[in-house]
Amino acid sequence: MATRLQFENSCDVGVFSKLTNAYCLVAIGGSENFYSAFESELADVIPVIKTSIAGTRIIGRLCAGNKKGLLVPHTTTDQELQHLRNSLPDQVVVQRIEEKLSALGNCIACNDHVALTHTDLDRETEEIIADVLGVEVFRQTIAGNILVGSYCAFSNRGGLVHPHTSIEDLDELSTLLQVPLVAGTINRGSDVIAAGMTVNDWTAFCGSDTTATELSVIESVFKLREAQPSAIVDEMRKSLIDSYV
Amino acid sequence: MPRKPTRHHRLLPVQPLTFSPFARSVARVATAYLVKHYLRDAPLKSAGDEFKEKLEKVDRQSESSEDEEFDGVVQADFAFFDPKPDDFHGVKTLLQSYLDNKQWDLSGFVDLILGQTTVGTVVKLEDDEDNAVFSVITALNLGRYKDHKCIAELKEFLLNISHEKDKIGNLRSLLGDKAQNVGLLVSQRVVNLPPELLPHLYDALFDEVSWATEDERKNANQKRPSTTDKDEALIYIKPEEEILHKLSMWSFLFPLQTQQVATHELKNYQLTGIVMAVKAENISSFQQQLHTLINES
Repeated sequence: MATRLQFENSCDVGVFSKLTNAYCLVAIGGSENFYSAFESELADVIPVIKTSIAGTRIIGRLCAGNKKGLLVPHTTTDQELQHLRNSLPDQVVVQRIEEKLSALGNCIACNDHVALTHTDLDRETEEIIADVLGVEVFRQTIAGNILVGSYCAFSNRGGLVHPHTSIEDLDELSTLLQVPLVAGTINRGSDVIAAGMTVNDWTAFCGSDTTATELSVIESVFKLREAQPSAIVDEMRKSLIDSYV
Repeated sequence: MPRKPTRHHRLLPVQPLTFSPFARSVARVATAYLVKHYLRDAPLKSAGDEFKEKLEKVDRQSESSEDEEFDGVVQADFAFFDPKPDDFHGVKTLLQSYLDNKQWDLSGFVDLILGQTTVGTVVKLEDDEDNAVFSVITALNLGRYKDHKCIAELKEFLLNISHEKDKIGNLRSLLGDKAQNVGLLVSQRVVNLPPELLPHLYDALFDEVSWATEDERKNANQKRPSTTDKDEALIYIKPEEEILHKLSMWSFLFPLQTQQVATHELKNYQLTGIVMAVKAENISSFQQQLHTLINES
């Protein structure tokens, strides 16, 4: 299900949070409403962690991650890194990377299998991404924008990209990512998709300016209507149990 | 009306004038630079192909920017537009800290402003693909919109921040029974907007208000919250507020919680908000004083 919320009067929820299938990071905000909105949706399923990165609240744009790992920029302080390592589940690898493009959230868009990156990213960074996040990395642009992390948001089930993406680009990206993609907007016509929303396989959080139409597009492309966290676990269980005694 | 040909002493290549690059290049430039601008009386914009004709030409001889270093000068053509639904994001960004850090229905408030196409002005660049909004000014009748959630929240905010008992009574009556005759003046702009635009902006607004409410004007009062600095002396971030403060019937100050970027000179000053009530008959005096102030500086 998609939820609409605000961070201190700003509808850019994707700037102040980072949601994956294994954890959720939330910025330390003026009021508790933001944090409790995430808590009420996610509390029993995945940990919701309050943090800052490099002393700032724009954590969603500075870090990139999926269920296997989290990449943070070199500007992250040691205490923040330690706090993240302590709070995240053990199977999530937290890695601080030396990369001059330090807004990793703007440069990298990823799900649990594929990542799209900024064309000017270092070669070593690309290797670290492939290693830590366990994904295949593609250097891409979206509608001519190199900040792929800002102009698209995708999960393992679907993706939303910049509204001016051409049909050919949509097809190409869809083939690379192996998920259905749709070109659309968030927060009442804003084209900076990833700033306005954050999504994982069963839920999404959007800015409160998002119109009903935009919300229904999101719920349909990310397949949120029938998605429950238990559904995903159950699906896995069927394939895990191979014999009853 | 045809646009008068521009006089260039040398060719200036076109600067990219989208919002961020403009603000960035302006910020990069050191103290002395002059922004050249044209205010033309040609039709400038269309929502339904209707242009506003409220701009006058600024005498270019007074601008000495041609003699300055090339990269110290940014050329910008500002134009005044009626508020349109397209301007939602720009206006919302400008009004982000309107009620300090209170969480309220800002989107609803912006919708009210944009819905009022007869009164209100939005300042943008001529032919800007980014549609960046540099300034917004409007007047909202508190009585007409009293049922809107955003107006109710705004009234609650104003009543809660005032700690002076005598002013609260005045404020309460202006917001309550006299609301039909009270206009909320909303004026916000980017910090580096050239002050030469201000007299024209305010003239345009008060002209529109008088056209829209011709018979009610005599009884109307005006009031708005705005920001100033204060420590021993009051430093006004916006020059027109000093004039309004002098002309106001009453006013009170309140502390602001939001972080403002403090310049070096202002770092000893406390950021404070001010609420003022100004009688409508003082408006023409305000306009005159604003013209004098801007044209002399």
